[in-house]
Order: sequence, then C-alpha cells, then structure tokens
Amino acid sequence: MLFNSGVFLQFFAAFLLLYGLVRHHLAARNLLIVAASYLFYGWWDWRFLALLFGSSTFDFLVGLALEKLPDPRRRRLLLAASIVVNLVILGFFKYYNFFIESLTALFAHGGVPFHPFSLQVILPVGISFYTFQSMSYALDVYRREIPATRHFINFLAYVSFFPQLVAGPIERARHLLPQFDRTVVISRPMLEEGIWLILWGMFKKVVVADSVAPLAEMVFDHSHWSAASVTLGTIAFALQIYGDFSGYSDIARGTARVLGFDIMVNFNIPYAARNLRDFWRRWHISLSTWLRDYLYISLGGNRHGSARTYLNLLITMVLGGLWHGAAWNFALWGLWHGAGLAVHRAFSSRRPLVPSAPVPAQAPPRFAFQVLRFLPAWLATLAFVLYGWLLFRARSFTQILEMTRALGDFSLPPWTGSFLLNLGVFAAPLVLIEAWQERTGDPLVTLKLSPWRKAALQGALLIGIVIYWQREKVPFIYFQF
Amino acid sequence: MKSHTCEFTPRDLLRFLAPPLVPLALFALAMHGGAAWNLLPAPRPALDTDRTILVHQAETARARHSAEILLLGDSSCLMDVSARQLGEQLGRPALNLGTLSFLDLNAYALLLRDYVQANPGTVRAVVLLMNPEALRRLDSEPYHLGVLKNFWAGRDSCAATNWEGEACCLLGSEIFKGRLLSRAVPVPLPGAFGRAYGFTRDLEASMTREAGSVLDPGTNAFQGNAEYRLAPTLERASQAFKSALPAGVNPFVAITPVPESFAGSRYPARHAAMLAQWAAWLNADAALTELPATLPAGAFTRVTHLKEIAVTNYTARLATSLKAHLN
Repeated sequence: MLFNSGVFLQFFAAFLLLYGLVRHHLAARNLLIVAASYLFYGWWDWRFLALLFGSSTFDFLVGLALEKLPDPRRRRLLLAASIVVNLVILGFFKYYNFFIESLTALFAHGGVPFHPFSLQVILPVGISFYTFQSMSYALDVYRREIPATRHFINFLAYVSFFPQLVAGPIERARHLLPQFDRTVVISRPMLEEGIWLILWGMFKKVVVADSVAPLAEMVFDHSHWSAASVTLGTIAFALQIYGDFSGYSDIARGTARVLGFDIMVNFNIPYAARNLRDFWRRWHISLSTWLRDYLYISLGGNRHGSARTYLNLLITMVLGGLWHGAAWNFALWGLWHGAGLAVHRAFSSRRPLVPSAPVPAQAPPRFAFQVLRFLPAWLATLAFVLYGWLLFRARSFTQILEMTRALGDFSLPPWTGSFLLNLGVFAAPLVLIEAWQERTGDPLVTLKLSPWRKAALQGALLIGIVIYWQREKVPFIYFQF
Repeated sequence: MKSHTCEFTPRDLLRFLAPPLVPLALFALAMHGGAAWNLLPAPRPALDTDRTILVHQAETARARHSAEILLLGDSSCLMDVSARQLGEQLGRPALNLGTLSFLDLNAYALLLRDYVQANPGTVRAVVLLMNPEALRRLDSEPYHLGVLKNFWAGRDSCAATNWEGEACCLLGSEIFKGRLLSRAVPVPLPGAFGRAYGFTRDLEASMTREAGSVLDPGTNAFQGNAEYRLAPTLERASQAFKSALPAGVNPFVAITPVPESFAGSRYPARHAAMLAQWAAWLNADAALTELPATLPAGAFTRVTHLKEIAVTNYTARLATSLKAHLN
C-alpha cells in the first residue's frame, strides 16, 4: 500500500475510526495496530506476512532467552545465532540472485562453465528495514541496554508499526517499544506537527520527487552524455531520491504523531551539509546511527589506532552501501562515501576542534556572511555527494565510466532550457522551505507563521498535491531496499 | 489502561484542517470560473507523448498551410513516412496528419474536414496510410477520441477512472494542467521518446520542422497477432471518410509494411486482397500496390514502425508511386 494512494487514505481513515473506538483499551489498541500493519503489508503480497511474523517471533523469543541466560558465553552464542538467522533470511531474499549472478560471471571470466541452481526470488518489500529493526532489539537486550519485553503483541506492533514498516525510519526498541506499553498522549502541538509532516511529506513525494524522476530517467537511461547532461541528471536524481525518501519519512513520522507516537527524525536538510560527516548526520539518520552503533563500534570503532579506524569506516560504509541493494554499484557508492569520510577524518583530526585561546563573545555573523563563509565547503560536499548519486543510480560500471568521461564534454543538450525550467519549478519550493528551516534551525518554523500565512502556505502545498495526485503512481525508491 | 488521551478539542482539529482547504476551494473556484467565463486560455493538454501529438495535429489541421499532399492515418503513417522528404521529392508541399493514438477513419475524417475548411482549394491529393494492425480495429479508443473532440470543442478533459480522479477534476486540477501548466512548463517525455526528443515542447518543434512526421525512437520486440483482416466497421468508416474529401479529390490508399518474419510468407497475397477491398470501399483513385507489403525485420523498431533509414527508403518509394499517379 502506497502512502500516496487513495487506498491508503481510505485505510487510514478507517483505522482512525477504529483507533478512536479502542481509546480505553491499551491491549486492544496494540492488537489493532498489529492487525492494521499486517493488512498494510499484506496488501502488497500476503504470502510474506509469514516471514514478517516468523522473523518477529524469533527475535521476541531470543530476547526473552537473552535476558534469562546468565552465562556470557551462551548469551553470545544465542546472539550470534539470532544475527545469523536474520542475516540468512535477509541474504537469501535480497542477495541470492546477486550472489549467483556474480559467481556465474566470475566463473565465466575464468572460462569455467558454471550452472548454479537458480531461483526466482522475490524481494519482500521493506525486509531490510524490519530485519534491522528487529535485530537491534536482540542486540540491545544482549547489551542489557533494554529489558526484554514480555508482551508479544507489543513486540509485533514494534516490528510491524505500519507508518514506518516498509521504508523506515529504522526505529530502536529503546525508543519505540516502550510507547506500546503506555497510554500515549495526542497533544495539540503533536497533532498540528503530524498534519504538517504528512502534508509536507506528500508534497515532497507527489510534487517534487515524482516530477523530477522522469528528468533523471531521461539522462540515466540515455547512452550519450555531456558534462551538462550528467550534472543536470544527477541533480535531478539527488532531488528525486531526497524528495522520495525524506517525503516517506515525513509522512511516516506525521502519521505516527497523529496517533500519539514518536518516531525518530530520519533527515535533517542533508544537502545543506558543509562536510561529509555532517552529511551523514543528516541523511538517513536511522540507518547511519544503526551502522555506527551496531557495526562500526562492534568492529572496534576508533579504539584501535588510525589505520584500523579508517578500515572500519570503509567496511561500515561498503556494507551500508550493500544494504541498499544487491548490486556492485551500491558497494562502490558505500566505498566512495567511506573513503570520503576517512579523508575528512584524516584532515579534520589535524585541526584542533577547540581553539587554544578563549574566543571573545561576539554577535553571531549575519546569515549572508555565514553562507559566503561556508560556500566553498558546502559546494565541495555537494559535488562529492552528487558524484556519489551518479554511482548509486548508474546501471553498470561501464555507464559510470562513460558518464564520468562525459564530464569533459562541454556541449549542451538541446533540451537544457526545458530541463532547467523543470528543475527550477519543482525544486524551488523544497529549497526555499528547507533554506528557511536551516537558517532558523527549526524544522517546524512554518508552524510559527501567522494563521493566514500558514493557511496560504499549507493551501499552496495542498493545491500542488491535488494537481499532481492523478498520474501513474511511482513507488517509493526505498521500497526496493 | 487507556490507549491514548486526546489533549485537543474538535475545534482545534478544525483549526488545523480547515484553513488549508480555503485556498484549495478558492483555487477550484478560480479554475472552474475561469474556464466557464473564458478567462483562462483554451485547453491545450500537451502533457504526454500521445496528447502532444494529438494536440499538434489537431492544431495543424486548423491552421493555414500550403500543403497539397495530405497524409492521414495511424501511427504507421505518422512514423513511417517523412512528409518533409516526400514534399521535396514530389516538388509539392506535403503535410503529415497521422496520429500516434488509436483513432479510426471517422476521426481522420474530422481532421481532414478541418484541414479542408481552413485551407480551401489547396489539397491536391490525400494519402491514407494504415497498418494492418489498425485496419482490424473496430473503433477509436474512447479516451483518445475524447481528447481530440474536447480539444476542438475547447472543453477540459477529465479521464477519471476512480474517486480520486473525480475529486481532482472537481478541484480543478485538469483545468490547471490543460490550460496553464502545459503552456508554462514543458513535460519530460517518458522512455525512448524522452531520450530522443526531450520534452513535449521539443517534440512539437520537431513535428513542425518535419511537416508533422515523427520518428519512432524505440526498439521493441515484435508483438501481436499476425492474422490480419479488415474490421467489419471499416466499410462504413471508409464512406464517412470519403464524404469528408474535398470535391474532386479522391484518396490514395496504402497499407504500411510489417516485418517479413512476423507476417509470414502468405501475407503479401492477403495484403493485396485487403488493399483492393479497402480501395473499393473508398472508391480510391489508386491503391498504392507498388509499395511493399513486408520488409526485412531489421527495418523495424516494432511491428508497425520503421527505423529512420527504412523511413527514408519507404518515403522515396511512396514518392515514386505518387508521382506516377499524380502526373
């Protein structure tokens, strides 16, 4: 079920009605959430409900056992078993075809005939998201950061909570799970914030992402490029993936907020980042913090010297890249970012973070001055991130090489004007509102407008959504991950 | 234990939800009012490949033009013949009014009537070209015919198939898109058309340059059913088309080629029989039997459309054939 569909609007309206009816019964609410979430997921393919249920049940039981077991060795073994089971399921559905294809290509390269057992494996929607969410629970219980829950239904609700089930944010048990154990409060500010997030998220998806998607497709599906077409196509894709994914996250957060739940912020104006580290603090925050907490730190983090730290960064980012999909260009994208983070770390560690002499208090510089001061760093970061998107979106290594080579061709495609006009029209609202949010440091700054201005802004967004609602529905990019 | 407590009143909820609906309602009023009182430009829904081609041809049919040779027909007419080249080879201006969409002879008759009305006395020959795929179709596709008729009538199209679509139309989205947006912002074309032409505006410019012809930029596997026949409705439609012809002008007819390997060895005989029957229904000046029934598979981008080099050759053959008849 897509958020940007009439079916979801009907589903959510019916859910809100039932949600109101169970307001006096906590257990009934959680049961309703589980039933609705399974309906939401099963709408796509009911056969994979068993996988979702099985995966959740397994981690629930592992959590209980981890809490009871006193022996560290046995606990470690149990955790390892849990991780292996989760990764085997994920690996089979997500990477089996990729593994077999890569192996076949490798054998063929060596001139050895290889005929593996091939299967048509369908990738269950959102498997990477809910597997990671479920795994983080077992890891947190193992680390004794949270107690194991004894409420099976609550745990099922935590794993399958429909607002964020298929494309995140990847929630942590310590944050979301306790909310299913208590009465939630839907306050006025929460309701207002929820409505705004749903509206803004829909706008980002329906108006921005789906409008620039054909622009990116026009360039990336081509076979001849120039510097201008590569740059414009990559900018279009950067806007598409951001509008699409952050739009989904906003709708998810808004939906949860309207129900009285809080789920984590997943994006914080990432294209305003002034360095790569800053970018990863703003982009897909739930995944980057997951990778940091459960992979980078488990690998040793920065505790074993510089060389090992850089290696850990590279491993974490390559695996983070592969999390997105079973293709080598995702690994390359991860490697690109890992290398960038390592270089940034190497350079920033040479500069003292704290000034040696106290700096006298002074008024903060004007915004325009700040922009000029950080312009080179911002542009460099953006260029680095954009090239990363080229690696991410390209269909093959050959395409990456050819598009990179085309950066030396300064001819202009005949459609440059129309392309720029489209980019300008669809990016302008997003850029303006996010620049305002970045400048004020307040993602909810639009809610502080006077009532008339707020109505005008929200009305304009709503009009945009209505205008672009009726066209072929483009699934969210991150559904496939 | 309670599930949730609401610390807001219904009035709060109304305060959050109602204000954005006011601009939306004003927008809907402005769109419908603007359309009803002709305060907005006329609908011109060039918003995708199909509609851009339809709108371009429908506008061209109503514009002043010096063409003496008029090409009419389905997408094979649009894409298998270069009207610019034909005009050069015949020494008389030619114009292609073929359409991409699924229209029938009745719809082509409407285009022809418009053209003759806008350009009285200029047409010397009408060439009707259709693919055998199209000849077995019973009627026009209601959607495409609706777009064409609505465009001519200055009505807004609303192709709603569900409640969401109807709600959007009610809120004025189609009026905005068809009358304002399509004029202000060119739409990127999907797939092969996007790669070859770019945007709606670029496709229109190319069509104008090429006297209405378009090249099929795609490569598609040969699909469909090779059991070709004439639709039972074709006889009556042919008569309707004939009645739209200007006095003294009879049509030339041809059935555009299909891939040899796809159509089978018996097809040329079938092609000749179909062409003869159709020409008789139309009381045509000539059935262009000199044109090939089939061509090698390598000449095609899909079953019904030719590649660029094949278009050049086919147009040259058409020019030779027409020259013989016109002189």
